[in-house]
Amino acid sequence: MEKKGLVLTKKDLLELKEEKKRNFEARLEFIDLYCEWLKKTPNKVWSRQQNSLSSRA
Amino acid sequence: MEFTAKKGTIFFQKELSALDKLVLEFAGTLKAAKIDYVIISGYVAILFGRSRETEDVDLFVEEMPLEKFLAFWNALYEAGFECINESNPSDAYGDYLKEKLAPRFAPKGKIIPNFEVKFPKTAYNNYALKNKVKVALNQQEINISEIELQIAFKLKLGSEKDFEDARHLYNVFKDSLDTRLLENQVKALGVEKQAERILWRKKALS
Repeated sequence: MEKKGLVLTKKDLLELKEEKKRNFEARLEFIDLYCEWLKKTPNKVWSRQQNSLSSRA
Repeated sequence: MEFTAKKGTIFFQKELSALDKLVLEFAGTLKAAKIDYVIISGYVAILFGRSRETEDVDLFVEEMPLEKFLAFWNALYEAGFECINESNPSDAYGDYLKEKLAPRFAPKGKIIPNFEVKFPKTAYNNYALKNKVKVALNQQEINISEIELQIAFKLKLGSEKDFEDARHLYNVFKDSLDTRLLENQVKALGVEKQAERILWRKKALS
């Protein structure tokens, strides 16, 4: 049977747009939170954590 | 985060990442070749703690004659880098750099991360090179874009990732930024609305 893929209505597309906006807002809020932590954390500590993130990639 | 900013230099110590080490190596080759340069774009935010990766490091190098570029090319190859999008150095100079395009250099046998090298061709490019900031990173040195310019330029680039980089740099440097200079850079690049949404307002898009 042939796969039809997504069929989206205008309402669905609007919801997706809202979701994208919410996700971006959440990212910015996380950046604020992360920067607060970064500013009060010694370089040795945050840079080690940053490095562990990149070495997992 | 501990850093001190004094007379155009940011003094900074941290545990170096593989990317930091590669950037220091590339910058060391530029310095040895006496080539003026400035690193722009995503790496600047990553250097100061942004939690993301990048596949390329963008930089402007001073416009130079072919002979000087050839010597730099040879020094890069000796240091273990190679150009991944052009094998002939004269063509990398004539067909890329002179045509506002970027030869990309990566560690031999790799494709990422790579260094995207451009000649400054616009007023923005020339300003970035002329007003670069030195970072004394673990007693070694790299040149990065003025932070105020970097934030405004990220707003100009306009992707969500760029906005996030701008917000990160703004948060990290908030207490030491030249606010008037930042406002001027924002105005010069025509990104007042983006600055309002991403920097000045606490709630981004609500």
